[in-house]
Amino acid sequence: MTTITGQLSAAPEHIARRPNLLRQMWMSRADYLYVLPAIVVMLVVIAYPIYYTIDLSFFKTPPGLQLRDKIFIGTENYSAILSSSVFWKVTLNTVIWTLASTLIAFVLGFGAALALHRDFAGRAILRAVLIIPWVISAVAASYIWKWIYHSDFGVLGAVMVQLGFLDRQPNFIDNVNSVLPSLIVVNIWREFPFAMIMLMAGLQTVPEQLLRAAKVDGASTWQRFWHVTFPHLRGVSTVTILLLAVANFNSFIIPWIMTGGGPSNASHIWITHIYELAFGRQRWGVAAAYSVLLFIIMMVLGYFYVRALSGNESKEHGA
Amino acid sequence: MSSVGNAVTRRGRKGVDGWRWAGRIFLLIMVLYTALPMAWMLLTSIKSGFAATQFPPQWWPSEPTLASYQKLLDPQNSVGQDFLRFFWNSFFVSTVTTALAVAVAVPAAYAFSRFRFPGRQFLFFSVLLRNMFPAVIFLVPLFILMRWLGLVNTHGSLILTYLTFGLPLAIWLLKGFYDNIPVQLEQAARIDGATRFQAFLLIVMPLSVPGIIATAIYSFIGAWNEYIYAATFLTKNDQLTLPVGIQRFFSENTTDFPGLMAASFLMSVPVVVLFLVLQKYFVRALTEGAVKH
Repeated sequence: MTTITGQLSAAPEHIARRPNLLRQMWMSRADYLYVLPAIVVMLVVIAYPIYYTIDLSFFKTPPGLQLRDKIFIGTENYSAILSSSVFWKVTLNTVIWTLASTLIAFVLGFGAALALHRDFAGRAILRAVLIIPWVISAVAASYIWKWIYHSDFGVLGAVMVQLGFLDRQPNFIDNVNSVLPSLIVVNIWREFPFAMIMLMAGLQTVPEQLLRAAKVDGASTWQRFWHVTFPHLRGVSTVTILLLAVANFNSFIIPWIMTGGGPSNASHIWITHIYELAFGRQRWGVAAAYSVLLFIIMMVLGYFYVRALSGNESKEHGA
Repeated sequence: MSSVGNAVTRRGRKGVDGWRWAGRIFLLIMVLYTALPMAWMLLTSIKSGFAATQFPPQWWPSEPTLASYQKLLDPQNSVGQDFLRFFWNSFFVSTVTTALAVAVAVPAAYAFSRFRFPGRQFLFFSVLLRNMFPAVIFLVPLFILMRWLGLVNTHGSLILTYLTFGLPLAIWLLKGFYDNIPVQLEQAARIDGATRFQAFLLIVMPLSVPGIIATAIYSFIGAWNEYIYAATFLTKNDQLTLPVGIQRFFSENTTDFPGLMAASFLMSVPVVVLFLVLQKYFVRALTEGAVKH
């Protein structure tokens, strides 16, 4: 009965493609039932908000979000953003935050994965300890570090004073110059475990024979890493870096809870800025315009993300 | 296999030693970086408010006390009442979200993994793309939607929105699992006369239990830790979830550091325990999609 629609075989789709798309869609109507609930949820909570955000970005909406009183103002919200100095400041912060967090978290995670690859006593415990920061809530992490950085009673400053590096308690997060690096340290603390997990799994796919063969041929540890291990991890690394970059670009909780973007915008990144514009200063139109710009940036990043993922996919089907 | 590899590396002691020591030292530094902040949270949480605010700090609490924990967990006093209610709210929202996300994601992920219907790639990637967009973009329109649906200040608003980020992740994780279950099993069942749905229900479902467990943990942790929607949709004190509740509470009591650390610790306990107990599934699920075996 279902033999026509039930194409269980992994037949390559492009062969069966074309002649009649509509007929094909009709024939696989049973397939769509499986994805239907997911698609409905996605439409309500994704497609609708995106449409609405674009709409709002061309209007001036009064505080309190009184939609009846919104006024069409064309692209004024966009020009307001691009001509403000805060925009450039926040963009620079976002670039620094995203690049530094992503690269350092990746390198630290890579190092930890390599160091944990060989079996030794206590390895499982160490691995669990290293992953915990990634599991706990970012709100808890923010409070822990805020307390560590505290300008009067913070333990980090106290250690530095006791060791004689400084003569008085430093101001980590109330200082325009040190606030962003201090927050990046917290962010990396939460994120390097993710890179570590991904790369540990990646390392297991590196063929042991190749490493041994390279060794027999007299390759040094570094050469074996660079010419055998590393090329095998290229796919995982790309996906990991992309996911980290997206997560960092989108981060909100750590800067929001720890500093709220201050002092004087020194730790505002795009997302915290948009949130403050919308729910703090109730400038809904400007916030929506920001969101649309962000949306465009994410589409570009998303293009690379999908390409990296489908690269993996086609390899898998080819095999 | 790895034991063979170990034996081989061990033979070449001389060249390896430098790297091995570098690895050990690096690992030590990373463990300190990871564990010391958490240790300091625990040490602070068992100090009195006075002991926590001394300079130089008491490295080890001279008079350890569980007063902060007693206060937070005591249903008799108002702080404890609030905290326990936040805890329950978080638990309720996370559990319902998880159940719904898994129920919707299982058939969808299966379809994406097995069936070849037109638009499959497009739909799958548009689901994945959702993961790339920050909550903030959706915040204002969803707030309007919730206001329209009359869901502001209800847990329903959170459950519905948590599905938006829970679902794509769940579908992605589960698809990785289904991809690695051999198609031949279902084909055999079909030859024996099972319908396609029976093959899915009776053959594939039992095999994908580890994947479902892993997906459930991810959804639960994601919902448990979520902050931004909860902070926007909820204003009434008795509805708040833990992250927002703790933030509201301690923005009024800014100097109760032991209490804040104790609350942070208690908030982390459920997810860390979940993670430690089900670690195996957790790690495997995440990497299943990205790494092919």
